[in-house]
Amino acid sequence: MNGLMLVAGREIRTHLRTKAFLISLAITAVLVGALAFAPKFLGGPESFTLGTVHSQQLPLQAAAPDAEFEWRSFPDEESARKAVLAGDVDAVLVNGTKVISDGEIDSQLGVLMQSTNREVKLGAAGVQIPPLTMESVGADTRYQAARTGIAVVLVLVLFMLIIGQVMTVAMGVVEEKGSRIVEILLSSVRPWQLLGGKIIGLGVLGLINLATIIVVGLGASFASGFAAEFPPGMAAIVAGVLVWFVLGYAFFATMAAALSSLVSRQEEVGNVMSPLTMLIMAAYFVAFYATTDPTGTVATVVSFVPPFSSMVMPVRMAAVEVPLWEVGVSVALMVLAVLGTLSFGAKVYERAVLRTGARVKLGEVLRAK
Amino acid sequence: MLEISELRKRFAGGPDSPEGKLALDGISFAVRPGEMFGFVGANGAGKTTTMRIIMGVLKSDAGSVSWRDRPLSYTDRQKFGYMPEERGLYQKMRAGEQIEYFGRLHGLSPEAAKQATDDLLQRLGLTERRNDTVESLSLGNQQRVQLAVALVHDPEVLILDEPFSGLDPIAVDALATALQERCRGGVPVIFSSHQLELVERLCDSVGIVSAGRMVASGTVGELRAAESSTLRVVVRAPAPGWADGLPGEVTVTGDRHVLLTADGDDQEILRRAMKAGHVEHFGVEQPSLTEIFKEAVA
Repeated sequence: MNGLMLVAGREIRTHLRTKAFLISLAITAVLVGALAFAPKFLGGPESFTLGTVHSQQLPLQAAAPDAEFEWRSFPDEESARKAVLAGDVDAVLVNGTKVISDGEIDSQLGVLMQSTNREVKLGAAGVQIPPLTMESVGADTRYQAARTGIAVVLVLVLFMLIIGQVMTVAMGVVEEKGSRIVEILLSSVRPWQLLGGKIIGLGVLGLINLATIIVVGLGASFASGFAAEFPPGMAAIVAGVLVWFVLGYAFFATMAAALSSLVSRQEEVGNVMSPLTMLIMAAYFVAFYATTDPTGTVATVVSFVPPFSSMVMPVRMAAVEVPLWEVGVSVALMVLAVLGTLSFGAKVYERAVLRTGARVKLGEVLRAK
Repeated sequence: MLEISELRKRFAGGPDSPEGKLALDGISFAVRPGEMFGFVGANGAGKTTTMRIIMGVLKSDAGSVSWRDRPLSYTDRQKFGYMPEERGLYQKMRAGEQIEYFGRLHGLSPEAAKQATDDLLQRLGLTERRNDTVESLSLGNQQRVQLAVALVHDPEVLILDEPFSGLDPIAVDALATALQERCRGGVPVIFSSHQLELVERLCDSVGIVSAGRMVASGTVGELRAAESSTLRVVVRAPAPGWADGLPGEVTVTGDRHVLLTADGDDQEILRRAMKAGHVEHFGVEQPSLTEIFKEAVA
């Protein structure tokens, strides 16, 4: 246990000190923070500038509380036309009877002005119309946009973190094998301690990364007001992401260590790792597809299949409500897969890591006694 | 006592050589506490393979290694110091930190590891370099850090594969002194080297390997005794034909006749030489380790 912790501690200390780690952490933090402010600039509330000529302003604000209206008044129709053509105003109400605009009027604004005008006139004639009450009998879709947004960001973050940490594990294994440090290390620690320590250490670094992203993301969301749109159960979503990251990372990192222990040179890492990187890419694409159709058959089925579930299930959990039993089954399957990978990976690593020189064939390693 | 007996190892062959390569063909030797054992042999003779098997980095097909009369265990090996042939250090790690880290891995407490590192850096003249990364050090200094890594936990046994290769004469002396100190402290030291004069100078005993077998081993004195020594006689301006009937060969340079012979009655040869001319030199030549080595592996 001591050896395991020493190895993990060295990984953490060494990487925490590198500029590359700190810079990439800072960049991701800034990007995620900026993302939380993005809705404010891109999809902010609609705003209209309107004008009047010999007319009363319409009570549009009351009818559409989310939009912003700015009113200007013009002395005559001629000056109003000029302002419309110049793009200073979106539409002008003339004499309380007609609306002028440059080209066809924004359809929402048109409908809004039409109905508000009708209501005002009827009200003046003494007719009171109670507003229609709205009720959804389907799923609660109020948070759909926010949920999808969170899911998309999640897929990206999980993918980047997993592939980044997994490649670091692979490079580390080859560094030790290629420089023969592993010979000295293995005369003082067991192979499983060396392998486990490396995976744990780099996993902790991944978690530090993920935690930073979450803290910055949530903090910026509260600062920008985006947090108001968070769906209920945000805490569960965040907790789920952490658990799924740990599971997914454990699976892919162990595979990476096993595969990279077959080669002795950094140049060969990319080659030997390509099946694994393709697998991670595949999981990423399925997860990304799941954000567009989180209730579809593909998303539902794949969210149970390890190792894809490690990226698809958190996306489903963010995008829609997933029954607890489904999450439980998916986690259980993934844990089994991780345990299987650990025993397989440790075996390959132990047998291959001291065989320096030419690339060792996987089949040969598995056949060896 | 560290005893290596009947080690055998065959490396798996590829499609070209399904038989594989026989690396060790029953190597046996023993090293006593406080003994420095020089391991010599041509490249590919099996020195590195033997050392890797002792360190548990490689498994032998047959044979055994025992330490203090018991099979060598993982816990025993943790108290060994090892320097592999191809040097292994974390290039981007600081020298001092690296030595400390390996001390901790070998079971030292944080304080003990730090203390041992300070002492070693001091002794190896690296105190100033403590916080430099390994990659920024000169090759000689990297080698010193490598040695420090092998020594930091005050090992009970030292196994060093080519520790002197690539060192300048001053660094060689420093390393030799460090090893002799450990040896005097009762630690068995095994090292391999191609610098035979160095082995001859430092080692109490020598093992010569060839093609996976120990072809000769013992103290340098014993190895010499096994070799037939050569008698060398130099006679100035002797009468012609003075050496007729004597064993060996005569070479003539100017008026100097040099007789080299491995056998024959030395007293008889001396009498004949003195009668023939002026004897300038008469003595038994000790074969050097290089000659013994060449003879043994031939």
